[in-house]
Amino acid sequence: MKSSCRLYSPKRLTERFEMRPWRPTGRLLGALSIGIALFGSGGCTVLGAKPWEHDLLAERAMQVSAYPIEAGMDDHIYFSKEASSGGRSFAGGGCGCN
Amino acid sequence: MRRVLAAAAAGLLASAHAKAQEPPADVPTTSVDSALLIYHEVNRVQAIEPEVNVSHKFDEDSTLNFGITADSLTGATPLGAVPSTLPQTYVRPYKVIPLGTPVTVTTASGGSTVVLVPPPTGAKTQTLAASTIVPPNTYPLDHGFYDQRVAGHLGWEQALTSNLKLDGGIAYSKEHDYRSESANIGVSQDFNGHNTTLSAAVNYESDLSFPIGGTPTPLTQMNGNWKGPDASLHEVDAVVGITQVMSRRWLATLSYSYSDEHGYQTDPYKIISIVDPASGQPTEQIYESRPDLRRKQSVFFDNKVHLAADVISASLRGFKDDWGIKSLTADLRYRWQIDMNYYIEPHLRYYTQSAADFFHYYLGSGEVIPQYASADTRLAKFHAQTYGVKFGVPFNETSELNLRVEYYDEHGNGSPAGAIGQLQQQNLFPDLKAYTLLLGYTFAF
Repeated sequence: MKSSCRLYSPKRLTERFEMRPWRPTGRLLGALSIGIALFGSGGCTVLGAKPWEHDLLAERAMQVSAYPIEAGMDDHIYFSKEASSGGRSFAGGGCGCN
Repeated sequence: MRRVLAAAAAGLLASAHAKAQEPPADVPTTSVDSALLIYHEVNRVQAIEPEVNVSHKFDEDSTLNFGITADSLTGATPLGAVPSTLPQTYVRPYKVIPLGTPVTVTTASGGSTVVLVPPPTGAKTQTLAASTIVPPNTYPLDHGFYDQRVAGHLGWEQALTSNLKLDGGIAYSKEHDYRSESANIGVSQDFNGHNTTLSAAVNYESDLSFPIGGTPTPLTQMNGNWKGPDASLHEVDAVVGITQVMSRRWLATLSYSYSDEHGYQTDPYKIISIVDPASGQPTEQIYESRPDLRRKQSVFFDNKVHLAADVISASLRGFKDDWGIKSLTADLRYRWQIDMNYYIEPHLRYYTQSAADFFHYYLGSGEVIPQYASADTRLAKFHAQTYGVKFGVPFNETSELNLRVEYYDEHGNGSPAGAIGQLQQQNLFPDLKAYTLLLGYTFAF
């Protein structure tokens, strides 16, 4: 498990991306990779919670999609007023509002 | 439809700490989530949108979900044209009638005047057009804007093992001038004692646009004639993500989404002004033109932190596409648990975007017209803030009534550098201000 942590070291990934020419796509993917590396280190016992510690995480307010209708309506409004979409969900609009 | 897509994607990202357990016999198996949205833009669009989603667990591993929504919009929306110190007349087709039919209607929606477009020789039909006069120094809006939409979705979620879950669904949306059909499938895998979830999902969407008045040929002059046939758009979306339980009180999600759109993406109702290079007065109005291909990418980072009783939700999204648009979205909510019976949740959101490569406030007369050009301010550089507050009353673990009020304020550059002649005294990007009222009710049985 320790070696796995070193393999996905955020520092190594950062250095790797810094050596490349600046490109927005590279930055996006770099940020994602670094994040995955950070998250992946959850297997290194630093992160996470024991099964009996999931009480707070089980509350509705702590769910990733605690209020899906509200989130969907927000996405619909912003999709119709702004040029961006996606991230939390698929980028498709499903409507002719933009 | 975005609700089901959001729910499908988020559902895949959500199960990091949702370890399957046998529920007690008295645990509800069916949950109903409902909401009513009232949307009000100052001097622009008004909308009302009810929605109901139902989720039913057949057993611990299998869940069916479906939902339906409808919305109705009326009001005014920008045409894309620039204002002028002189009155401006805009004509758009809105109805086809058999040749020789007496025209008894004199006004169309939005206060326009109905005019009869002279039919070509040998035609069996004739077109009615709506003519609108925009007063001097007024930002041109189409006051006849209206739309109605009905949408539904159906999905299934299946746990194959305690760590592996599949889901899929279909969705359909129909407006009076647009139709969308989509299907999605996703998979998620838990690791590290359900502390880590990796997920992936894809969605295919096929849309058909059949605008009122037909599909105009891009960059041709606006007129009252009936235009071309329906136009289609195909889109593939993919989302990969990881959800990590950081600690007993902290849940984090990181996702990357990619979207590939092929087909008609021009707004058939938007125009762009061609102005005199000296006076800045519009000399012509032409239909806008956008590329048929668009690739979008975004990275989304979401955190939920449970304090002693309160919960903080904070997210960031970075977005870019090959139209030249880059954006950043920051979202912060603080759920202030007053006591066990109710909570108050203030909400702040900040959004900023750069302009599309082909955005122009106007085009100069005598210049070469570019292949792509749009004056739609949604493609312009701007920033926006949302301020909101939500008041919630949870009755028990599965039912809740909540009410949310929000204010959205969008600012762009209404006085771009180098504006020509009379355009220097005009506001080319009026602020957009909108209020939303959202009433939600969830219960289970």
